[in-house]
Amino acid sequence: MEDKKCYLYAPPRPQPGRAPKRRRLVNTGQPTTWELREHAFHEAWAQQEHQIQGAIDDADRSTLEKIAAFVSGVVPGPRRDRPPIPTGLVITGPSIASHGPFFRRVSDKIIADTKSIFVPLNSAECPNLKTLLKTLIRKATSGLPIDEDDDELPPSGAHKTGSKPLDYDLCLLLDWYSKTPVDKITIAIQDSEGFDDSIIVETIELLSSWSDRLPFVLLFGIATSADRFQDRLTGSAILSLEGEQFVVEQAEESLEKIFRATVEGPHVSLRVGPNLCRLLLDRHSDHSQSTQDFYDSLKYAYLCHFYANPMSVFLNRSLEFDQINHSAFEALRTLPSFRNYVEALLEDGSTDEIHSLLDSDQFLFANIKQHLELGQTALSRLTSAIAVVVILRNAMWKTQQVRYSSLYIRSASGDLYGSPLTRETILMVRKASSDTFSHVLATLASLRHSGLPMDIKEYQQALADLTEHSTTSAPLKSHYDVQSNTLRTTLVAQKVDLSKHKSTLSKQDAAYSDLIGRFHDELEAYLTEALIDPHSLYLSEILLYDLKSPHNEVFAPKPRFAMERALSSPHDYLNCSCCAESKAEGEHQLSASQPPSTILYQLYLESGAMLNVNDLWLAFNAITGGEDNQSEDVTTSLFQRSLAEFKYFGLVKPSRKKVDHVSKMMWKGL
Amino acid sequence: MLPDELVLTTLNSQFPCRELQIRQLLSLFSPFLPSPPTLVVHGLDATGKSSIVKAVLEENSISHAIVNSRECITGRHLLERTLVACLDVVEASSEEKLDRKPYARCENISALSTHLQRLFEGREKFTLVFDGIDKQREAPPTLLTALARFGESIPNFSIVMIITVPHPSALHQTGIPHVHFPPYTRDESITILSRNPPPIFLELSDPELEYTDDLAAEDNAWVWGRFLAAVWDSLAKGAARDLVSYRVVCTKLWRPFVAPIVDGTFGTRDFSRLMVHRRTIFQGEDALLSRIVPKSTTVASAASTHDLPCYSKYLLCAAYLASFNPARQDNVYFMKASDKKRRRRKNNTGWTAKNRKISRHLLMPSPFSLDRLLGILRAILPHDLAQTADIYTQIATLSSIRLLVRTGAVGADVLDPGCKWRVNYGFEYVSKLGRSVDFEIGEYLAGGGE
Repeated sequence: MEDKKCYLYAPPRPQPGRAPKRRRLVNTGQPTTWELREHAFHEAWAQQEHQIQGAIDDADRSTLEKIAAFVSGVVPGPRRDRPPIPTGLVITGPSIASHGPFFRRVSDKIIADTKSIFVPLNSAECPNLKTLLKTLIRKATSGLPIDEDDDELPPSGAHKTGSKPLDYDLCLLLDWYSKTPVDKITIAIQDSEGFDDSIIVETIELLSSWSDRLPFVLLFGIATSADRFQDRLTGSAILSLEGEQFVVEQAEESLEKIFRATVEGPHVSLRVGPNLCRLLLDRHSDHSQSTQDFYDSLKYAYLCHFYANPMSVFLNRSLEFDQINHSAFEALRTLPSFRNYVEALLEDGSTDEIHSLLDSDQFLFANIKQHLELGQTALSRLTSAIAVVVILRNAMWKTQQVRYSSLYIRSASGDLYGSPLTRETILMVRKASSDTFSHVLATLASLRHSGLPMDIKEYQQALADLTEHSTTSAPLKSHYDVQSNTLRTTLVAQKVDLSKHKSTLSKQDAAYSDLIGRFHDELEAYLTEALIDPHSLYLSEILLYDLKSPHNEVFAPKPRFAMERALSSPHDYLNCSCCAESKAEGEHQLSASQPPSTILYQLYLESGAMLNVNDLWLAFNAITGGEDNQSEDVTTSLFQRSLAEFKYFGLVKPSRKKVDHVSKMMWKGL
Repeated sequence: MLPDELVLTTLNSQFPCRELQIRQLLSLFSPFLPSPPTLVVHGLDATGKSSIVKAVLEENSISHAIVNSRECITGRHLLERTLVACLDVVEASSEEKLDRKPYARCENISALSTHLQRLFEGREKFTLVFDGIDKQREAPPTLLTALARFGESIPNFSIVMIITVPHPSALHQTGIPHVHFPPYTRDESITILSRNPPPIFLELSDPELEYTDDLAAEDNAWVWGRFLAAVWDSLAKGAARDLVSYRVVCTKLWRPFVAPIVDGTFGTRDFSRLMVHRRTIFQGEDALLSRIVPKSTTVASAASTHDLPCYSKYLLCAAYLASFNPARQDNVYFMKASDKKRRRRKNNTGWTAKNRKISRHLLMPSPFSLDRLLGILRAILPHDLAQTADIYTQIATLSSIRLLVRTGAVGADVLDPGCKWRVNYGFEYVSKLGRSVDFEIGEYLAGGGE
């Protein structure tokens, strides 16, 4: 078997008459809901994916349109006088993972909108100029973006010269160009940082010398900044380029949009809780800054919820009563929110309902269905209330913009209502002048899923009437505004009398104050009702997913920490009885019963940057070795094997400074 | 056939200030006299070498082929293209279909020599021009010397090499005629550029103003000529002496210069007042710095630059410190136990100043190991950091956008502990980054970073 790299495994045929051996499945009844849950997951995730894709497209649209307009605005056809090559510098930002999808969208857009072909190049496939040209010609002439198998070139050019041109000769491209209706060739260098400076410069010079025959348009994807890119080019290369700069929307902005798309709206069946949200957003700003990463995390959250939580089966919209068995209901009756709900009912005195909830699965099912709907409506009201607060806040404070995501985190943990921020915002509404108010109304009217109870149109109409009849051009003031108060001091019989005076408000102002006062009251009532604590909702365990630990384990693994821990305290992993005693003593953990590599590692940790191998050996021998010669042989071999393993891990390296020393390469805890 | 003098006048009017060179080339490549087997044409960039050689050959109707070395990627590519160019020219002139079978391959210079001997046997005079042959990529070492001897083995065949600077013994042959194209002087540059004055007014105003096209052309030429001289004396003399960059600078400055004329502040003949009014554009160096995106548009979009993740910024700061601080002083700068007093002590001893005259951050960044980077990162972070893989991901990302560069023996593993790293950015960049996360890098930098 050892000489074969792979082999075919044929399982032994089951003998007739005897049932095949099989692991007995514990029939808990849970697996019956897996299919339903899977279906629910696909339903929910398809919806989310659609929303996210829409948000991503939305975020990129303006940039894509600008790039397409730039490419199509280039004068088609080759030019005799060799003008500079039109060049687009696309600042894509430092998240490399999103570059590929972005350039794919650019490609689709350019191919759809202009009569140009699009050739994407990246640094991995172009280690030198020759390969770059080969790839360029292959991709351009094949017309397909990626076609790895197509090594054989089409025999173009051969008919004319009798000899086949070399496969990096741009004559091939010229030949192909003269036969196609394409009017320009767009070359996108996706990761310009990955290319050597010399390759980029040589490519630019070569393309510019061909630009009298072939119409090129260049697009450079730049992760850092345009200045850094230009610093790498030579003067003559810069002279042969001319163009525009395009900035892709910042990762933070587009993440905000994506985030909003995933929690807002009445159709979202599962929402991410505050703790997990904070984790995801912090990770985004601290480490990754890629929307792709956020997308993956969110998908993982959905997977966890639907595959690991049996209750999630109730999120399946087409669920029938007889599809689930009794145990699911039993499980549901143990939920904390169910208990709270029952206790609340008990206080109301509706004992009949409690009885049927506890006894009848049928009744409970109907109850769950109804309350899930209610819960989702409440959550969607909550998200739209947050949107309203964001709008109001950002309209009043031009300088300090709040983010939707941060407000969502606060409100999902239940401390947005009654917080200083909300109170302040509501109070500021009352003081707003008429132009701010009309701006706020206009933004509110454009809000998509607004569950606002008040009639914005009516307010707009009333406000328009007021401003029309206003005699001055200045905006109308509300009488709640402090600026309209003046402090007056009068001396009456040697006593200073301070009195507040309202500056006289015109009739329109008074009417406006009434209007905005009404708006304020309605708004306050609305926010009080909508800004609930989602965890207090009945069935919140099903509607929210808020577990941090699976994400930490999956998305932020700790490989080095795990290695170091295994080597420095093997008991944590082995859980053997021999080391337990030394563990209990708490002091020095070295003992002969530990694996030899870990003993050596703990000695290694104690030393400085250089290790004397003989000292190491003596210490090692003192711990593990016996008295007689024979055991020393065994100890030596164990020692040497451990040291060889260290060398393989890269923990030590032979040193040139001292012959009998090795240098320490890795420190613990980094 | 035109008489020589007539050809000379045509060419002279086409290429001003190159009379001597045109005369030399015309006499060397006369259709009636034998031409030298090898000729070297040399001169700096933008002195008219290629266009004049081409024009002379075309005017004298000598059949010729031009091979541009810029477009040839390898030595073999050059040879193949040479052969194909010769075949194309011969086929076009002789009106018979050549059998190209024997010429299918051309791997080396001897093959090219044989092919050309066979091709030009019994044919008329032919000239082969190698443009920029001294800049050929991956050229075989004997390329120039071998090409110089082609004329000896092929009758009626001459080779012209257009190069920048001739090396005295590059061709291993004596008696090769050289034609030198000196750079244009001030007067010559101005004469050449003043032949095509750009318009002052982009769209002509109403016809009733009696400002005819002739008048406009006269004004354009008048202002443009004086403007050219001013640009040369102020900027181009020092920084843009060749014709192409001089022209670029002039066209870049022209519109801002004539803007006061267009909006009517000055008349077209008020050159001296205009000059005083617009003196700032001759004082700044903006026009000399070439950039891909015109400056006005960059300013508008500079606000929306991309931000690195928070820990990436710290990583870059740590990497800069690891590159520019000597490793043996790490415990002075980064040990948590050492207080401020100890950190400052180094500046008072002063013994390092004797050995090192150049400030460290002006020197090349020195390589550092990955563990040192991580150690410094933990020392400068204001709070603890979990040992997650995210940090490694960021190092990999930074290295793929070339802010961090691996040096020395580079294996396939990006995070190989034996591998050394180096930073690829300067102090200004990193201090700006540091400030955006409230980290003053000068406090930790040996020498204080001033």
